[in-house]
Amino acid sequence: MIAALPPPPPTIQAPAPERSAATTGQVRVAAAMTDAQVRVDSSFRGATIVLYGAVFNPTDAPTDVVVVVRGPDAPVRLVKKTRNMGVWLNSRPVLFEGAPGFYMTASTRSLGDIADFGQLRRLGVGVDHLRINAPQESRTVTRYGVRDVVVSRLGEDYLDWRRAVIRLREAAALYNTDPDGVEFVDQGLFRAEIDLPAVAPTGQYFAEVWLFQDGEPVSVSNLTLTVEKVGIERDIFEFAHNRPWTYGILCVLLAALTGWLASRIFRRS
Amino acid sequence: MDIYLPIAEVSVNWPLLVLLGATVGFVSGLFGIGGGFLMAPILIFLGIPPSVAVASQASHVVASSTSGVISYTKQKAVDYRIGGVMALGGVIGALLGVELFRYLRLLGQADLAVALSYLLFLGAIGTLMLYESLGQILRRVRGEVIPHKERRRPLWLYGLPLRMRFPRSGLYISAIPPFALGAFAGVLSAIMGVGGGFILVPAMLYVLRMRASVVVGTSLFQIIVTTAMTTILQAGRNQTVDIVLSTILLLGGVVGAQYGARLSGRFRAEELRAVLGLIVLLVGIQMGLELFVRPSDLFAFAPGIAG
Repeated sequence: MIAALPPPPPTIQAPAPERSAATTGQVRVAAAMTDAQVRVDSSFRGATIVLYGAVFNPTDAPTDVVVVVRGPDAPVRLVKKTRNMGVWLNSRPVLFEGAPGFYMTASTRSLGDIADFGQLRRLGVGVDHLRINAPQESRTVTRYGVRDVVVSRLGEDYLDWRRAVIRLREAAALYNTDPDGVEFVDQGLFRAEIDLPAVAPTGQYFAEVWLFQDGEPVSVSNLTLTVEKVGIERDIFEFAHNRPWTYGILCVLLAALTGWLASRIFRRS
Repeated sequence: MDIYLPIAEVSVNWPLLVLLGATVGFVSGLFGIGGGFLMAPILIFLGIPPSVAVASQASHVVASSTSGVISYTKQKAVDYRIGGVMALGGVIGALLGVELFRYLRLLGQADLAVALSYLLFLGAIGTLMLYESLGQILRRVRGEVIPHKERRRPLWLYGLPLRMRFPRSGLYISAIPPFALGAFAGVLSAIMGVGGGFILVPAMLYVLRMRASVVVGTSLFQIIVTTAMTTILQAGRNQTVDIVLSTILLLGGVVGAQYGARLSGRFRAEELRAVLGLIVLLVGIQMGLELFVRPSDLFAFAPGIAG
């Protein structure tokens, strides 16, 4: 497969001395982000973080880069509208777990071309392979003599429900799949953009940069990203959640005071 | 020009919110209503989560009603006695309403409850107001003599116990009907995020037959107490009050309310009622439409996470 190798650059020669230069062990990826911290303040309207990295590939086989960014888990409750006597009503809400609050993939090609279904599923790469499910709806039964078969109370619709979680999050720009999101700017040097919308949840984000060769993952680089509220926004948020009653009373007093002030000001003028 | 709202967790254009607050404040000053029924649908339309919109604008209602009550007090047009009885009912109604709303949210039926109450109450009140005021305008234009309506209160108002004297309203009736009316407005305040003026004013005029001059001021007083209670409860129980959002809204709101109140003297009462009736009816229909139109997406996120 690999005919003639160029001599590897000396800087990267040190690791992997026990293997021959031809093994894929030396194909590596390294990455970093322009910001490891996103600060949400009053002017926050979303943020774009640039992830850049380098592929070191001494072999001839082409490689693919897949960037996966996953936000903190945010379970969702979903309802389906059904028509009853001419009126559209909500169904009983169904709790879906395992859905991250933010999820994006960016890659050099479409994910299906980079690796096969099984491989992507095993690594959990791609929105179709997120482990979103509704545990409260499922139960195990014995069917055709087979024990512990997991069935869902949602029945045939189950996949529609699951897809709706993804579709609604995609509509809010929280889930994103970009098959051309990884762009090579120079030999072995790539960049990808992470677009966080203003509604992106706060918390710890994990970025994985996968390097695929011949449909197999050969290297991965892990990065973290923190999205946090800062300044007055954080103070207000924490105040409202830690001392909710005091906060409520304060809101009312502020409102009453504003009303009183307005009537004073307008009487004079 | 965007600002990030810490509780709603969305970013919105703040001059637009000031303008919205001013417009709703103007309407509320003009017609002597809280204006909540207009504000909540518009906020939801702007992309603010419904639970935050309903809870945050309640404090806007507090502000605009406060400046209203102050000016009505100077005109001696507030009956604090009957207002107090109604406010007591309002507080209890708000307690019930906030719990009911929590329960409905867990069931995923909060949208339905909100849409239905808007359709039912705004639709009915709007139609009645429009019908009554248009009839009056028509008779005046034709030069007919306006028939003097019987100023007799329903007899059951006198049959109930706990009679109290309300000299400013010219009433000597049982305390139960005003209390029940206040409680009903309190429940609506929690579910629809409204002060309930659009229910209170007609009920005080046509059922209790209070002296017309004190009706608006007294209803505003009851609204302040009820919505203040709702705001505190929503903040305490659901953490859905966004102080930044409500401050922006009420900055515009108090200014608008003052101009609206000044302008209201220039119009005839029945003309104002006709316009208000039309607005109320349109909002009711708009909110109710979502029950009958096929949604663009059959699935939707339900707010709140079940514990």
